[in-house]
Order: sequence, then C-alpha cells, then structure tokens
Amino acid sequence: MKKQYFLIIGLVLILALVLVACGGGGSSDKESPIKIGAVYDMTGPTADVGAPYGRGEQGYVDWLNANGGVNGRKVELIGQDYAYKVDQAEQLYSQYVNQDKVVAFMGWGTGDTEALRGKIAKDKIPFMSASYSINLAKIKEAPYNFLAGVTYSDQMVIALQWALQDAKAKGVEPKVVVFHHDSPFGQSPVPDGKAFADANGIAYTDIAMPKGATDLTPQLTQAQDFGATYVIIQNVSSPAALLLKNAKSLGMTDKTQFICLNWCADELFIKLSEGAAEGAMGIMPFTSDFSVPGAKDPAEYLKSKGKSLDDEGLHYVQGWWTVATMIQGIKLTMDANKDLTGENIKASLESIKNFSTGDVTAPISFSPTDHRGNDKAKVHQVQGGVWTPITDYMQSRIPVE
Amino acid sequence: MESGIFHSTYEKDMALRHTPIEKIRLALVIAFVLIFPFVADNYWLNLANTIGVVIVGAVGLNILTGFTGQISLGQGAFMAVGAYTAALLSIRWGAPMWLTIPAGAISTAIIGAIFGIPSLRLKGLYLAIATLAAQEIILWVITHWDAVTGGVDALNAQNILWFGGESHYFSEFQFYWIIMGFAALTTMVTVNIFRTRIGRAFIAIRDQDIAAEVMGIDLFKYKVLAFATSSFFVGLAGALIAHWRQIVTWERFTIETSIFYLAVIIIGGLGSVSGSIYGAIFMVLLPAILNNIGRSLKGVIPAMDVLIPFIQQAVFGLVIILFLILEPEGIAKMWKNVRDYFRLWPFSY
Repeated sequence: MKKQYFLIIGLVLILALVLVACGGGGSSDKESPIKIGAVYDMTGPTADVGAPYGRGEQGYVDWLNANGGVNGRKVELIGQDYAYKVDQAEQLYSQYVNQDKVVAFMGWGTGDTEALRGKIAKDKIPFMSASYSINLAKIKEAPYNFLAGVTYSDQMVIALQWALQDAKAKGVEPKVVVFHHDSPFGQSPVPDGKAFADANGIAYTDIAMPKGATDLTPQLTQAQDFGATYVIIQNVSSPAALLLKNAKSLGMTDKTQFICLNWCADELFIKLSEGAAEGAMGIMPFTSDFSVPGAKDPAEYLKSKGKSLDDEGLHYVQGWWTVATMIQGIKLTMDANKDLTGENIKASLESIKNFSTGDVTAPISFSPTDHRGNDKAKVHQVQGGVWTPITDYMQSRIPVE
Repeated sequence: MESGIFHSTYEKDMALRHTPIEKIRLALVIAFVLIFPFVADNYWLNLANTIGVVIVGAVGLNILTGFTGQISLGQGAFMAVGAYTAALLSIRWGAPMWLTIPAGAISTAIIGAIFGIPSLRLKGLYLAIATLAAQEIILWVITHWDAVTGGVDALNAQNILWFGGESHYFSEFQFYWIIMGFAALTTMVTVNIFRTRIGRAFIAIRDQDIAAEVMGIDLFKYKVLAFATSSFFVGLAGALIAHWRQIVTWERFTIETSIFYLAVIIIGGLGSVSGSIYGAIFMVLLPAILNNIGRSLKGVIPAMDVLIPFIQQAVFGLVIILFLILEPEGIAKMWKNVRDYFRLWPFSY
C-alpha cells in the first residue's frame, strides 16, 4: 500500500517535470505569431465585468487572425484568469515576459496594474489595462502604461459638471456623495472630484461601500443625512445595483440623482437592479449602443460563434477595442519597418492620432507627454431599461504631472 | 544494519544532523541554491524568490502555530506591517535597505506582541477569531490612516543603499541572493531557537499549557514572546516583499494571504522548520506546474486554458484535504517516512 502510494507520487512528479520541460521556448522571427500577454478576471471579485471584457480581448484577436492578422502575421494572445490576485498577476506577467517573450501586455485591475508599473517600465513592455486610474497617466512613474478609456478622475469631473448644470436647471443645491469601492480602484477619483467640487462650490463627501455587503441602507442613510442630491458611484455593477435597490426601498431615488461611472454603467447594472436603475445616469466613455459601426464586427463575430453581443454587453466591445488599440500600435511599428520592441511599439502608440473605434468611443489619440487616449464621454440615462445618451460628448482633462 | 536512530548521549540528542547522509544532503542543497541562479531564467528566478519569501513567512508562522500551538489568522496583516514600515521609512526618510528591513521586522514584532496579549486568555477557535480581528484592524488602519500610509494608494518603496542615495534597481538575480540570505538566516536562527530554553518552553506550551505552567514556565511571557518572535520573521518577509516588488499595496496582504500561509505550514508540516520549507516550495510550484501542464495540453484539449483556474482551485482544496487525511504531519513527515524506509530496510520498526 505504502509503496504504491510513493510510486504514484513519483510518477506524477516525473510527468509534471517532463511536461514542464516541453513547455516554454520561443523564437521571434518574422513568421512566428506576435505574442501579447494578458491577465483576465474571470472568477474573481470583479468577474461580473471582467469576464466579458476578457472574452472581448480574446474575440478580437481570434477575429483578427481569421481576417489575415496584422500585415499577414498572426497574433497570439497568451492570457489566463488571475482572479484579481496581485501575486498571481505578477507571476503570470513574469512568465509571459520572460518565457514567452511577449511584446505587449493587456492587464485588468488597478491594484495589479499599479503593482506592475515599475516592472513594466524596466522591461519596456507597453501595457494597457482596464484600470483608468489617474496614477497610471503619470508619465514619469508609469512611462509604459497607456489608457484607452477616460480616467476615473476625468469621468468624475464630467459627472460633476453634468450635476452642476442639472442642479442649475432644476434649481436644487448640488450636494454630492461619492459611493466607492474600498480599494485603489474605488478611491482613485475621490480626491480629484473633491478638488473640482471645492473650486465650484459643490458640497462633497465620500462613503466607502464595504466589500461583500448585502445591505447598503446604513451608508445610504448617511448620504440622506448629508442631504445628497447627487450620488456618484465608482464601483462595479453588482454592488452598484444593490445600492440602487436599497435606495429605492428608502424612497431616495425620487429626490436623489444616481450617477454611475463607467464600471457600473452597463447592462448588468440595469438587469440586477430590477427596475430600480430607471432614471439613473451613467458616464460612458464606451457606448452601449450596438448600432454604431464599431460594434458591427464584434456582433458578427459572436453571431458566427452562436452567441450574441446583447448577451455579452458593452464590456465585450470595450475589451475588443482596447486590444485593437494596442495592436494598432504594433501595426504602425511594422508599417515603419521597425523591430517589434517595447520601445518601438511605445513610440508608435504615442504617434496615434484620432484612431477611430467606429464611434464606440471618441477617437483615441496618444502623445509622448500624455498617455490618456481619451477624454470624452457621453452622459447616458436609463430610460425604459436601456442606456440612452442624453448629452453629446463631454470633456475633461485635468492636469497630471 | 540499523533499525532506527537511538541517542545515547545528550550531545547526540541535541545535534542538528544525526547521520552523515544528512550532512551530504545539506551540502547538496547548498550547492543547488548556489548554482541555480546561474542556470535559471528570470521566470524561474522569480519563482525561486517567491519561494524564498514564503519560506521566511512560513517559518515565522510555524514558530507561532506549529511550535507554540497558537493559531493565527493575522499573517497577512502582520506582513503588511513589515512591508509598510520598510516602504514608508525608505520613502519618507530615504532610509537605506539595511535599516528598513530590520525595522520592518522589529516593528512587526512589537505589533505582533501587542496582538498576542489576548492569547493568554484565549485558546483555539477564540484565538483564531482574535487574530482575525487583528487582520481586519491592521488592514483597516493601513487603508484609512491616509496621513501616514497614504490610504489605499500603492506605495513605491525605494531600494536605497546608503543615506541620501538614489533608489537602486535590483534584478531578480541580485535579489535572489538577498532573499536566500534572509531565508537561510531565518532557518538557522529558528532551528537553534528550539535548542534553547525559550524554544522548549514554546513546545511545552503547545503540548500542554497547564503542565508547562506547573513546570515553571511563565505562560504570559512565553506566549507574548512567541507572538513577537513569529511576527519578527513574518514582518521580515513583508519587508522583503516591499523591496523586492517595490510596490506596496494592501491588496497583497488580505485574509487570503493568511490562509495561504496556514496551508503552507499544514501541508509542509506543523512544528517543523524543514516542513515550512517543503510547504513553501510545494505551494508555490504547484500552481506554476499546473499552469505549465495546462498550457502544454492546450493543443490536445482546446478548452484547457479556460479550465486551468478552476482546476488550480480544485487541486488546491483537494491537496489540503488529502494531506489532512493521509499525512496530517505534512511533507516533512512524508519525507521522513521515505527516508526511513530506505535507510532502515529491512528492519524498519
């Protein structure tokens, strides 16, 4: 009995070692695929929005390869779920960069993107994540990070600008409470929002939404005591929907205008809030209107796979176009007959001017001094259970060092 | 022919290595550790460094949980104390690494001792909950004490070599020596602690605290001392992470980290220094190996890359359950069984 037990363990170990030895190794000649690393949150705490975003990235690369790749070369997206764990992201990053020799990297969360930014700069790996924290736009600290979306801070300013106009029109006093995820992601736009609010005479406070909370009534009561006329939510869809449901049962939704920043302004938020989201606003740098030209390819691709874009939602399109922007940088490098090194791809990305995403976003531009690709978003409102744009593009680009 | 190791003198009983084979083994391990970084690529160096840090943290936790019998769910937060102390000293005062790393360890020892005070009156599950409170309190303070810690934002630890110097960038290869140096030091110090009165007092408390008190062991003093000693090494691991990764974020030090370290010492072997090392190697390499197996099977089974994370989680749980059932004393005991089987054959009684 004992002997067999060791034999099995031994065999498993040998098998493991053989397989490990088989893996790895790679070359970078002109014929081999262009390798891009990625981490997705498919099972972690932000998986509700992370999974469709990740599938969108994979979908784009698959679609691109089926349509001839980049100038004839295929793209290989080497990625894995990291369940929003910083350690896991670091390990996968290290593996993809050192063993697979990826030339660019697609990240996800604020925590892991910030944790990696130093390494990224040392390894010279152009990096785009789904985190739009303004810290990643500080070019000195994060020279290889690029943001495809509007920063959270700029979204916050747009939300406040809109609230200010709306308050004037309605004749109410603008009193803003920011409800945020208790993390670097959630806190990110709070100070910049405060600076704008102070400069414009808006009463402003922030309340953290405890992780895994099943009832946010106490926090909402706090906001009521503050006299909130506007609530801005910086969180993902599921907790944001819970907040709206609780607010509705408190009768708050009539007097207080709720505004989502991009990670809760999506279809899931409407679905989960079971009607409570009606009338809520959303700051949406990526549109949920799938009749725009930029949504045609993802919709047709998904249809060919027996799925539908309406089920996947706007985060799918967001992932699709984010990786498309990165690959545009790679394409420009190849067009200029330069080697696909991190430095060259960075320079190409910085030369991108008005890259069209087919109206999914405002055109994307980077420059050597500013890696914020976009600074415009439309304010949308939930009308009849659908996000409907109520303004044209509003803009904010607050200064960063 | 041998049928076991029997000590006939106190000197032999106290010896660290009982047989010549153990000396050879130690020499082989040292040779491997010295040669490894010259042949490994950055990915394997990164894994080796992760293992080194986990060894320091796991040995620290084992002092408290494995040797003294005081369960702790606050490991993650104690590591955070070490990491934040080291990072903040380097950022605010430009303190060099040779000061920040010990400072991180010492500050964690103090905080650990404070949170160890309830252990006098609390045991088992109750102590687990008290240390869980420590985990939550410490992380709450870190994320909300903006003036000192900078709140939830990540800190950029500076690797300064001398006062007034610039931050230095260490490669994985260079950091390998720092981490392995500390891992070796931690191991040597801990092994020797348990050859002293203090270490034996810890073990006596674990085995029967009332009996230990009757023998004249001051329970309060030694329990607090166990918390302090353990936290010292845990803080050391935190400080090493701060300088190695250079970005300190509280998200790295959540309750999941605490549970990971408990799993490391349970799988490796409670109350065994070598067990902590085996556990660290096993727990860091297991997901990496599963990941590599999954990737090489990708051509054979197309949906493999989607399944890997689920398989990893399932295997993680399965491994812990299997260890608890088949070998509650962990890899250290398994290794001993294998060794004894061959050495004592055919009279293994």
